[in-house]
Amino acid sequence: MNAAQRQPAEAKFEPLLQFEMEMGTFLSDWQHCDQLSTFMARMISHNRTDPLRHSNFFSSALNELLEVSFRGGTPEGRIGCAVYRHGPKERVKLSFPCPPGQRQFFREAVAKTHRNDAYARYLDALSSDLGPSREVVLLDLAINFDAEIHLEEEAPPSITIIVDLPLEGIVR
Amino acid sequence: MSTAMLAAPFQAEFDANSQEFSLAGVLRPRSVDEIAHSITEFRSAIEEARGVLYINVKRLAQMNNTAFHAFSRVVLDACRTRSDIRFVVVTSSVVGWTERMFRHLGKIEPQITVEVYDSKFYPGQSFVEDTSFIPILRTQTKMTWRHERTILPRHGMRPGIVMADICCGIGDFAVLVRKEFQPARIVALDHSRASLAYARDVAANFGISDIEYSYGDASEMLLEDNQFDLVTCRHSLQIFNQPDLLLKELYRICKPGGRVYITNEKNSHCLGEPRAQSIQWTYNEVAKLFAHFEMDVELGPKSRRFLAEAGFDDILVESFMVTNQDGDPQDFADVITAWENVYAGEMAVKRGDPPEFIERFRQGFRDHIFAALHPKGYAGWPIWAASGRKPL
Repeated sequence: MNAAQRQPAEAKFEPLLQFEMEMGTFLSDWQHCDQLSTFMARMISHNRTDPLRHSNFFSSALNELLEVSFRGGTPEGRIGCAVYRHGPKERVKLSFPCPPGQRQFFREAVAKTHRNDAYARYLDALSSDLGPSREVVLLDLAINFDAEIHLEEEAPPSITIIVDLPLEGIVR
Repeated sequence: MSTAMLAAPFQAEFDANSQEFSLAGVLRPRSVDEIAHSITEFRSAIEEARGVLYINVKRLAQMNNTAFHAFSRVVLDACRTRSDIRFVVVTSSVVGWTERMFRHLGKIEPQITVEVYDSKFYPGQSFVEDTSFIPILRTQTKMTWRHERTILPRHGMRPGIVMADICCGIGDFAVLVRKEFQPARIVALDHSRASLAYARDVAANFGISDIEYSYGDASEMLLEDNQFDLVTCRHSLQIFNQPDLLLKELYRICKPGGRVYITNEKNSHCLGEPRAQSIQWTYNEVAKLFAHFEMDVELGPKSRRFLAEAGFDDILVESFMVTNQDGDPQDFADVITAWENVYAGEMAVKRGDPPEFIERFRQGFRDHIFAALHPKGYAGWPIWAASGRKPL
């Protein structure tokens, strides 16, 4: 089992909120990424120590994930997003249809967030002329939001990105 | 998506006088094309700049990686072609992710530095955020609350409202309001982590979980427009060096038809008998001392003008006198003791006042305490309470 496939050990996350929608509907408007991330952030942050700042951080992170699925998703199938909580961490599970050719890309991209050279890669990407790839977005979450990122692939053709965000500790 | 759709939530501006390029609002484009105009403006700003260019992101509530990378590219490219220029990215500790993201640019190019603007903030901050002031703040609120609980309903306070207490300090006013008036929602915001920690502890001890204490800068709030039925901001315009800026933010977050309630002092009108002259002299000097640190503790009666100039209508102004007759005179004396310690013991010393001035300055506070505790004495501390309605 490589780093990308490794599952988080603990299973105590409590469900907070989830949504599901047709991928075609989601892809019909770029603003859905912003609107969904802002709405979900507000809903799940209300009982955090600093709801306003927690919501701001969470919205940033979730928006990036939704943008990843927007850019990589196909119109068939459904997108699902669930948020869970365990202590100071929120877990986001984002499932979306992923073409077979892209699965390996996600495996590698997630694995790179665990490697020792993640920060060097991130700096290289910032220096490059190319726009941010989905790989860079995942690195951004790992570096700027202290996120732990994993993949779940039990139900193709969808792919599930699991992101643990210890935002309560960052925001306080 | 059109650029017009993006234009609403974010602003990009260059101020040539201060060589500052500002990004504010929510910046989440699908592609760089959508922000091409702002990128071009940014490039022009760099071409125009000499010496140092400030990149102000302190009001940037959200920015996605597409936008971050696009703006970063421009700065990084400029570092390679313009060795004569320095870039200072001005972030806010409130929007913590900006500090985290932008600091990486300095690792790539040493010409780029990142500053957290609110680590300096305003001139009087260190005095009012001193934790030794916490017990006295509680006593002050206890004394003013006796008056404000009857005043507040005239200024828009009622059960079920959504309210914000900006510059909430140690949060005691929010707790009192919650108990007395049962608002549906209270957001309490302050820029002192120590005060907020205290507020949260008190709330936890009393089993209060429905006050949203938030770390924020009252002049650059993350709170969105038009949210609150009532926005309160007590004793804070007078210690902020740009009260009009603060009021603009209070106006922004208030709902149309809602009200903004402010309290401020006119310190030179503090009074006492006996020893009135000594007391009067000291409080005149208090006003001058605060002015030295860019604070206006004479602001109380100016509230009407400030509210009118900020765009409010239906402005109500009233004043009340906190006195040694309100409850225990020792509470009044304790407040004045704390003032003496901070104003004469710290602020006058910092201003560089000579010992003979400080001694006379202290004497006025002592005489005020004498008046407060004297069986036939009277001591007063006047406060102006004012509110304005945000037009519909």
